[in-house]
Amino acid sequence: MKILPGVLLMTASFSLPAQVRLPEYSREQLPNGATLILLPKHDVPLISVRAVFRGGAEAEPQGLNGISGLTAELMRRGTEKRSAEQIDLDLDFLGATLSAGANRGSAFFAAEFLSKTAPEAMAILGEILARPSFPEEEVRKVLAHAADQVRAAKDNPAIAVGRYFNGFFFPPGHPYRHSGAPDEASLARMNREEILKYYRRMAAGKNLIFIAAGDFDPKQFAPLARAVAAALPAGDALPLPNATEVRAAAPRLLLVDKPDATQTYFRIGLPGIHRRHPDRIPLLVVNTLFGGRFTSLLNDALRVNAGLTYGANSLLDQDRLPGAIAINSFTPTATTAKAIDLALAVLGRLVREGVTQEQLDSARAYIKGNFPTERLETSDQICSVLADLELNGLDRSDIDTLFQKLDSLTLEQVNAAARRHFSGGNLQFCLVGNASAIQQEVAKYAKSMKVISVKDPGFFAPDF
Amino acid sequence: MLLLASIAMQAQMVKVTEHSLENGMKILIHEDHDVPNVALYLFFKVGSRNERPGATGISHFFEHMMFNGAKKYGPKQFDIQMEKAGGRNNAYTTRDVTVYTDWLPRTALELMFDMEADRIRDLSFDPKIVESERGVVSSERRMSVENNPFGTLYEQLFATAYIAHPYQWPVIGWASDIESWTMDDLKAHYRMGYAPNNCVVVVSGDVTPAEVLALAKKYLEPIPRQEPPPPVRTVEPPQLGERRVTIHRPANLPLLMTAFHIGSAKDPDFPVYEVIDTILAGGRSSRLYRRLVEKEQLVLNVGGGIQPSLDPGLFLFTFQVRSGRKPEEVEKSLYEELDRLAREPVPAEELQKVRNQILAEFYRQLKTISGKANLIGSYEVFYGGWNEINTAPQKIEKVTAADVQRVAAKIFSPRNRTVATLLPEQGAEVTK
Repeated sequence: MKILPGVLLMTASFSLPAQVRLPEYSREQLPNGATLILLPKHDVPLISVRAVFRGGAEAEPQGLNGISGLTAELMRRGTEKRSAEQIDLDLDFLGATLSAGANRGSAFFAAEFLSKTAPEAMAILGEILARPSFPEEEVRKVLAHAADQVRAAKDNPAIAVGRYFNGFFFPPGHPYRHSGAPDEASLARMNREEILKYYRRMAAGKNLIFIAAGDFDPKQFAPLARAVAAALPAGDALPLPNATEVRAAAPRLLLVDKPDATQTYFRIGLPGIHRRHPDRIPLLVVNTLFGGRFTSLLNDALRVNAGLTYGANSLLDQDRLPGAIAINSFTPTATTAKAIDLALAVLGRLVREGVTQEQLDSARAYIKGNFPTERLETSDQICSVLADLELNGLDRSDIDTLFQKLDSLTLEQVNAAARRHFSGGNLQFCLVGNASAIQQEVAKYAKSMKVISVKDPGFFAPDF
Repeated sequence: MLLLASIAMQAQMVKVTEHSLENGMKILIHEDHDVPNVALYLFFKVGSRNERPGATGISHFFEHMMFNGAKKYGPKQFDIQMEKAGGRNNAYTTRDVTVYTDWLPRTALELMFDMEADRIRDLSFDPKIVESERGVVSSERRMSVENNPFGTLYEQLFATAYIAHPYQWPVIGWASDIESWTMDDLKAHYRMGYAPNNCVVVVSGDVTPAEVLALAKKYLEPIPRQEPPPPVRTVEPPQLGERRVTIHRPANLPLLMTAFHIGSAKDPDFPVYEVIDTILAGGRSSRLYRRLVEKEQLVLNVGGGIQPSLDPGLFLFTFQVRSGRKPEEVEKSLYEELDRLAREPVPAEELQKVRNQILAEFYRQLKTISGKANLIGSYEVFYGGWNEINTAPQKIEKVTAADVQRVAAKIFSPRNRTVATLLPEQGAEVTK
């Protein structure tokens, strides 16, 4: 494969369309405070539904990281009327899919079913949201399963490096420190009582955004959707933390020792932005050029020119709270310092020299050209876009004016944003690899360095 | 009982305009004006099955080389020009095919035809770029095989299940071969695999057949016809008894994989394989998920299944074994379920559930222009023609409980079985 799908951060000149728009949809507030959004779209006989509860990692109690995803998973494992087994059977019989989980800003249920089965599928979803029973046996099973998933993640450094990076980049107490996932310590504290307590706080109308897009007639489908969304008590909105910038006092390096690794996986972080940050659009452009596509500066230097890696990219967080900008790559153990040096040189050059008008034009065309198939082609994609807007207090103008905003960017604005966000922060290095082979040479990147073992519990170094 | 197949099954769900160029290249066009974009997929019928020992992985390496410069568009230009025009691309190689996948706004259509024609006809071979790309592919191998327990075991499974046929070696190639193939190997592979008459081009999206055909005639038709790859002569002999491979490496959890030989995509029983796959592992209510993940809690997940292939393939089951459990326990339960499938007819309601699942999954592949491009190309290459798409649901409908019993009894026998196990080596340090 030329590149790993999903590794590059996809955000979205020739006579490209001047502006794409979200299709028309209805939005209403139900008496219990839930938001209901319906968007008919008739290309395939399928309906996508998202039930999104504000909160996610941002609302989790200290020490119970991962509880929102586990609560969502357990909600689908038994209701007052159906056992977990019956729910699975009934969904499969309809040919429906349902995934339940959580991320930084929400817990969510994503369902997709054939339009003709809407009444049956919505009845099941309604029970899951409003009448889950949390059978003791299922709680025990899900917690044990999650503990083994933590072990499996540590067997795969490509996955582990992301979790170690978050545990290192975000300070203690920060909701993004745990990647919205549980670890050995939080799993040991969880039980049915804690899950039930969390469910009662989370499953409130005031937290719920209910979105459906697909092949339906709103006249027939709206009553079904309203019945499901309105069945929850109004409750209280989960308290969410305020935005605080994550800025380390000095460069630091965390080295996670995995003695059998034959290559080093590294992530280098800088303070980033939040979803509503005024520099977001110029940074979409900068990130596209720096590490967001195949011809990006990072991939060109590390992969195409030097052959040091299969891929190098950069990640730009865009969540409700400020996150990270991170360089992400991997390289054989023997070329670890060479690859990191090169990545830092690319970063330095971006800040020093900026980008050219030609690069700006190219990135703009790239984002615009890919946007329709990345974000607006399927009902499922549209549900994601609408959820993102709602969770961040935005409306359709965010999408409907995106191309105009891109077009009006000047080179000065883009380079000023690059300088503001890609320099000045103390770089935070997170490496997973064979420590005995690389420890000495990577010490030069930060005076403050800590080595932990992949066998240690959790995904972070205490007191670091 | 809900019969989904009666829903919205039109005579022709996927409409395609078909045209063969004079050089033998086949063009398949599907119109969809939902978004102003196009998926352009090129299926070359060359993969690791067309390789030989010493040069394994060369098809995949070549997939990388196709982005490294041709006559009109030099090094890096394919990606630079494409991204500048608002498009992006990827490519994948399997045991049977190499597929180039271009996603673009409709405004970039002519540019893409020009650039594709350039690299199909006049690829350049710069020794420096070859060496650099070797490093990239070695890194890809380290990521997907050596530093990935699943990838390590998967490779061993195929190497054990096949003793004669080229499906035995990994698509990415053995590490030694990646280090050592030569410029001559590369040039020979290009001449063999990249004949226009060995290629199917699928265009799906915001286009008209007339404009696509005009571009195809202008850019692709002048490429001269060549000899296609020679037929793969080796036929895998029947397996005569169970084969086992066990590997030891540092890991937290064991892995178990089993494989049974089955037919190719053109095997009339292929729809029966699909039904069996879904009975056993389709969704959380499937038999193996229910028993192994939920009831007995022996494994974290159930993976595997079937893939259409040009030569006889494998029915795979892959499991991440839970901590404190043993692969033998998983094997015992798995074989009991496979035996049950051969012994007892599948209840009518369960068979209907499985048909519903397969049909819904089929619609999911039609959601995007790229999903449709991939489906059209795969049916053309593997199932004997794109139009088979439109009869696929009926073929699934016709599968009976007796078919399932008959086929299960035939394939799931111990002597047709290969078992691969990865056992964790706790605390062992690897020294180089």
